Amino acid sequence: MPKVRGGAGVLSQDSKGVCLPEVWTQVEEVMSRSLLSQAVIEGDWDEATRLTVRVLDSGASPQDVITQELHPAMGVVGEKFSSGEYFLPDMLKAGRAMNSALAVLQPLLANTDIASVGKVVIGTVEGDIHDIGKNMVVMFLKGVGFEVSDLGANVPEERFVGAVREMRPDILGLSSLLTTTMPAMGRVIKALDVTGLRSSVKVIVGGAPITQDYADSISADAYGHDAGQAARVCKELIKR
Amino acid sequence: MVMTQKQRILAAARGEHLDKLPFGARIDLWYNYNLGHGTLPEKYKGWSEVDIIRDQGAGAHYRSLPMIKEEYHDMEVIKKDEPPYITTEFRTPLGSVCKKMAFTPDTGEYAPYEIENLFKSESDYPIIKYVLEHTIPVLDSEKYSKARDEVGESGLVVTGATDDSPTQRVMREMMGYDRFFYELMDHPTKVEELIEVMKSLQRKEYEIAVKLDLEIFNICCNWSDDIHTPIFKKYFTPWLQEITDFLHAHGKLSMVHIDGENRRLIPFFLDTHVDVFEAWTPAPMTMVTNAELKKALGDKATIWGGIPAILFEPTCSDEEFDNYIINLFKEIAPGYRFIVGMGDNEPFDGKIERVRRVVELIDKYGTLPIEI
Repeated sequence: MPKVRGGAGVLSQDSKGVCLPEVWTQVEEVMSRSLLSQAVIEGDWDEATRLTVRVLDSGASPQDVITQELHPAMGVVGEKFSSGEYFLPDMLKAGRAMNSALAVLQPLLANTDIASVGKVVIGTVEGDIHDIGKNMVVMFLKGVGFEVSDLGANVPEERFVGAVREMRPDILGLSSLLTTTMPAMGRVIKALDVTGLRSSVKVIVGGAPITQDYADSISADAYGHDAGQAARVCKELIKR
Repeated sequence: MVMTQKQRILAAARGEHLDKLPFGARIDLWYNYNLGHGTLPEKYKGWSEVDIIRDQGAGAHYRSLPMIKEEYHDMEVIKKDEPPYITTEFRTPLGSVCKKMAFTPDTGEYAPYEIENLFKSESDYPIIKYVLEHTIPVLDSEKYSKARDEVGESGLVVTGATDDSPTQRVMREMMGYDRFFYELMDHPTKVEELIEVMKSLQRKEYEIAVKLDLEIFNICCNWSDDIHTPIFKKYFTPWLQEITDFLHAHGKLSMVHIDGENRRLIPFFLDTHVDVFEAWTPAPMTMVTNAELKKALGDKATIWGGIPAILFEPTCSDEEFDNYIINLFKEIAPGYRFIVGMGDNEPFDGKIERVRRVVELIDKYGTLPIEI
């Protein structure tokens, strides 16, 4: 029996090359999944909800929808944001579309585990109460499959150290918007050194006044210029 | 006759040709922090901010609070001052709304941050509208006048009727960026109505403020690409045009504070009619170089800035600093319609003597037209 390779696998055909009736379910799933990814990328949350239901009806597992469609779609959104094609509202729309899809999937996920890409603890450093940039990074990290613990803004160094000790994250993210608070990032990294935790965690820094040079000068492992790039860099850090 | 620092800055803002680059240095972040922590250099203990800039040989970029205050009528306003927070509740016949601001201990009164926005849900629209419709602008120029006297001919007092344009106030101050974009998706008409009410209030504020002797009005702050380009074109540009044209009709100039990542907004700058793009922060703090912005604006508007704040940090070597400044001069050659300045401030731990170094480098390489 000839077979046609589709996005989600191999489709069966009869001797005349016509897909067998049962195969249409697979075709439906492939098309719906592709459209679902597109709906998330385009930030169409109504369509994302509708297509999630359709994908599930055609037999897809909720776990696969998340890991194979939603996470990659948010990765695309991150790339578009970094490249300048997408703006903050585009990203927010995409986030809302993803959450709409997750709202459909969530009840079906009880007692199931979805492998996390990695664990990140993140916060804005002490003295700095700005959180827009950090929140964007959190949204992207979750969007591409990280488990994120957000410590919020104005976080003292001992709280970062405590969170690293207790939660054992793969990555610690430090954010700062002000030149007055950026030295606090270096102090957190030094505190991790002193407490013997530095080697257990990769540290990524970011924020308006931060540059790669500055990140290097405080011995951070990585620097993210924007939220989309930060998510990509975190994925690379996990591989190291 | 030798021009004063103020005259030089104003001439560049108007597009007049000067003999050398003007320099308006902003150091309030550095000054307030070190004054508050008792860490001003020994020589400058007891000095004023303007006197330090004078001593460094630069012109002063002296930030002052807006000259209009807003008084609220037909409602009860309850303000709680519990440092570092100030909570303000507006109790109106239609209901109450509340905002909570935080003042970071190191930056003083110019950097409040909304911990809790005034707008929280759709039901707040009529209440906030009521608050704005019952807000009366009142002249509050005492601080400005004092600052103007203090700065004199040594530089420029940078202020305006209000810090932000109407859409920026709704977006940033009242809702926060993310909620604003969601509201614009879900309730566009209500958001637009709120912006219109804010415009009406600000028109009254400009009618009052324009009678003062301020030469350049700051009309909007804190631009970055987070202001979506279509939103900028639809909601910002017409207002900036309107107010700039209004100011021009009264012999004044307009200025905007652009200390963020602006690579996507820059193509729209000239559409705004704005005269001065201040707090310009180039690469490496943003993705845009001095040459790129200069090319985009040509001689149609004035840039104020060009030195990223991190260059004043001790982590930057003297050689790197000099090379950056000299390259800046090359990038903006022939150098007209440019006021050298910080993007946007001397950092709290910055090397203050580098202000003088900029003056020395301007003396050596900043003769106009620049030919290095």
